Amino acid sequence: MRPPLEFLMPSQMGAELIYSFVIIVCSLMVYYGTKELYELSSHKGIRYFRKAFLFFAIAYFFRYSIRFILSFFHLRTIHEFSLIVFRPIGPLTLLFFMYFSSMAVFYLLYSVMWKRWNGNSKMICIFHAVAVIIALASIISRRSDILLGINLFLFILVSFVYYIAHKDSKTKKKGHNLYVVYMLLFIFWVLNLIDILIPSFLQQFQLIIYLASSGIFLTILYKVLKKAGN
Amino acid sequence: MAKRGKLEIMKDILRIIQENRNSIKPTPLLRKSKLSSLRFKEYFIELIDKNLIKEIAGKKGEKFISLTDKGFNFLEKYKNIINFIEEFEL
Repeated sequence: MRPPLEFLMPSQMGAELIYSFVIIVCSLMVYYGTKELYELSSHKGIRYFRKAFLFFAIAYFFRYSIRFILSFFHLRTIHEFSLIVFRPIGPLTLLFFMYFSSMAVFYLLYSVMWKRWNGNSKMICIFHAVAVIIALASIISRRSDILLGINLFLFILVSFVYYIAHKDSKTKKKGHNLYVVYMLLFIFWVLNLIDILIPSFLQQFQLIIYLASSGIFLTILYKVLKKAGN
Repeated sequence: MAKRGKLEIMKDILRIIQENRNSIKPTPLLRKSKLSSLRFKEYFIELIDKNLIKEIAGKKGEKFISLTDKGFNFLEKYKNIINFIEEFEL
């Protein structure tokens, strides 16, 4: 017989809690740390940059909720959500996680690209639609390889667009190392998705992924606080 | 002379007001801002809407423009805003 509250005891859940806490706090600090700069300037880039981190915070909240549900109901994968008593909880949490994490990355991309796209707000509508499709696909599709394929395609697309944008701006500004940080953020975003969608796939590297992801968010937070003058 | 960005133009207008002891009439402000009257009007309305400047009536009923607290804050934080935008390629 399993001991009571066993799901809370393993070090894995403790690591999950600390990891989620670090990312959520970092993201919210970025969001609130840039509030004044946005209120003063009403700059579109700053607006979408802030939204990206607000969405990261929400996404990581749902990510932790998924982990909690898996652990609480002793499930191995998200495909076993149908086995739990309150059936909508699992899929809905997954739906919100996928939507908010996709939108977070899209907002970050848009914050860099909005000038090149002439501030076209239709792009935001397209991003919302794509995020909803990805979220629905994640709960409808029961095949992990399809989910993996969709997210890898999205990662390649986002990275390519950002690479092109960075290449263009490189001629104007020298000494930028943010490109590396953003690319790492995109890479670890995909790894975090894989970690949720196919838990067994990256189980051995979980701690490394958590440490690296936390490091990226802490680096961005440091840069934000330094530049925002807080 | 390089083309000024939107934030830079806003900063220049606010700086002119500040350097005139925080009180200037619209016509000299237009002249010193080096903008066409149409563009100046657009910026003027935007600065009023964003509560960065305010209009004050003088003793003889003439209009003066001065900075709000938010306007002063904008000037103080302008460098931070620009540094932030450049750093994150926004």
